[in-house]
Amino acid sequence: MSEPLKEALDQVRAGEELKEKTRAFLSEKTRGYQKAPAVSRRPALSAAACVLVLLCLGLWKVYFIPVSVISIDINPSLELSLNRFDRVLSVEGYNEDGQALAQALDVRFLNYRDAVEQVLASPAVADCLARDEYLSIAVVDDDAQRQQALLAGVQSCAAGHGQAHCYAADGSQLEEAHHAGLSYGKYQAYLELSALDGDITPQQVQSMTMREIRELIAALSSSAGDSAQDGSSQSTGQGPGTGSGQGSAQGTGSGQGYGQGGHHGESGHHYGQTH
Amino acid sequence: MRSEAEANRVIEQYGDTVRRLCLVHLKNTADTEDIFQTVFLKYVLSSASFESPEHEKAWFIRVTINACRDLLGSFFRKNTVPLDQLLDQPAPMGEDHREVLEAVLSLPPKYKDAVYLHYYEGYTAPEIGRILGKNVNTVYTLLGRARQLLKEKLGGEGDV
Repeated sequence: MSEPLKEALDQVRAGEELKEKTRAFLSEKTRGYQKAPAVSRRPALSAAACVLVLLCLGLWKVYFIPVSVISIDINPSLELSLNRFDRVLSVEGYNEDGQALAQALDVRFLNYRDAVEQVLASPAVADCLARDEYLSIAVVDDDAQRQQALLAGVQSCAAGHGQAHCYAADGSQLEEAHHAGLSYGKYQAYLELSALDGDITPQQVQSMTMREIRELIAALSSSAGDSAQDGSSQSTGQGPGTGSGQGSAQGTGSGQGYGQGGHHGESGHHYGQTH
Repeated sequence: MRSEAEANRVIEQYGDTVRRLCLVHLKNTADTEDIFQTVFLKYVLSSASFESPEHEKAWFIRVTINACRDLLGSFFRKNTVPLDQLLDQPAPMGEDHREVLEAVLSLPPKYKDAVYLHYYEGYTAPEIGRILGKNVNTVYTLLGRARQLLKEKLGGEGDV
């Protein structure tokens, strides 16, 4: 077999055409034997591509990390999560109206100003504003500089939208707020209210409008003040033992205040002046 | 990078060997041309130094076999075509030669290299082992089985 195979393979030769094509190919690939061919750049290109991919992945990751929250509360209560480029990553509603609004909005990846404008212009919020409801916008960010920049932005958005209270805070209470099922802004209002009335629950606050909460706070504050005054006048007459008498009188005052519907209305203007 | 003169020398010197190895492995002229050019480009770009012409030839054989294997990794290249399409040289091939060549080409890929290197290039089993990166005993086994298969294909003819 060896001989026929040898003879058969001897007839197989590289033709002149193939050799000529190869010479031309080599000359072209090596640019006339002057430079390394494009093939040799592959490692460098691959490395550059890898770096680019890693950069993109890094940027992608950074882009999707929420760093700030804007809590918008009127009656719909919702929060916009922002990345470090001030773009909206997500919208979450914290009560029934807020959830409905969050569903209806299309603000993902918008700049926060555009998003806030869109929220304020939405029918649900616009109706509330038309009824002179109280609007609260809280900017929550751990970085003081960003806080101020975002606050300035939301203040300019809220200007001309009636009663609006814009403020900034760090994120220390954000988790607590979410745990209670409230947006940051509403949670702050809840904390203020619960300091005056220990029986109030986050669930009760959830469905209340911000104006109702503020009015209640104002009413409780003023009635507590009145009761305290009453207590002190009573105690003056009673002589010694004033201290304990005052304390108990204040407690009673709070309970009464929460029950007095008519009183809340009166304190409304007081709140309006404050903000 | 090597010079144009060196490239021309090796094309003349090893072109036929590379072409034969391509014939043993590949199914069409387009692939052959591709591998042929790739092998010589690798040579031009390689900085390997060779102790002897034998060393240089063994380098070409190994690089060609590896390039063919890489190409054959694709499932779509596993179809066979008639020998007529593979042999582009005008010289007519005798019936005996054709039969033997076809028998060798129809062997499973793992036997073809050993058969080619042993029967055509005249390498010994240890040399084939070094070129193919295989154990010497494995080479003996491959050659033994290949002989057996060729006997069956050629109807017991020839001094296999």
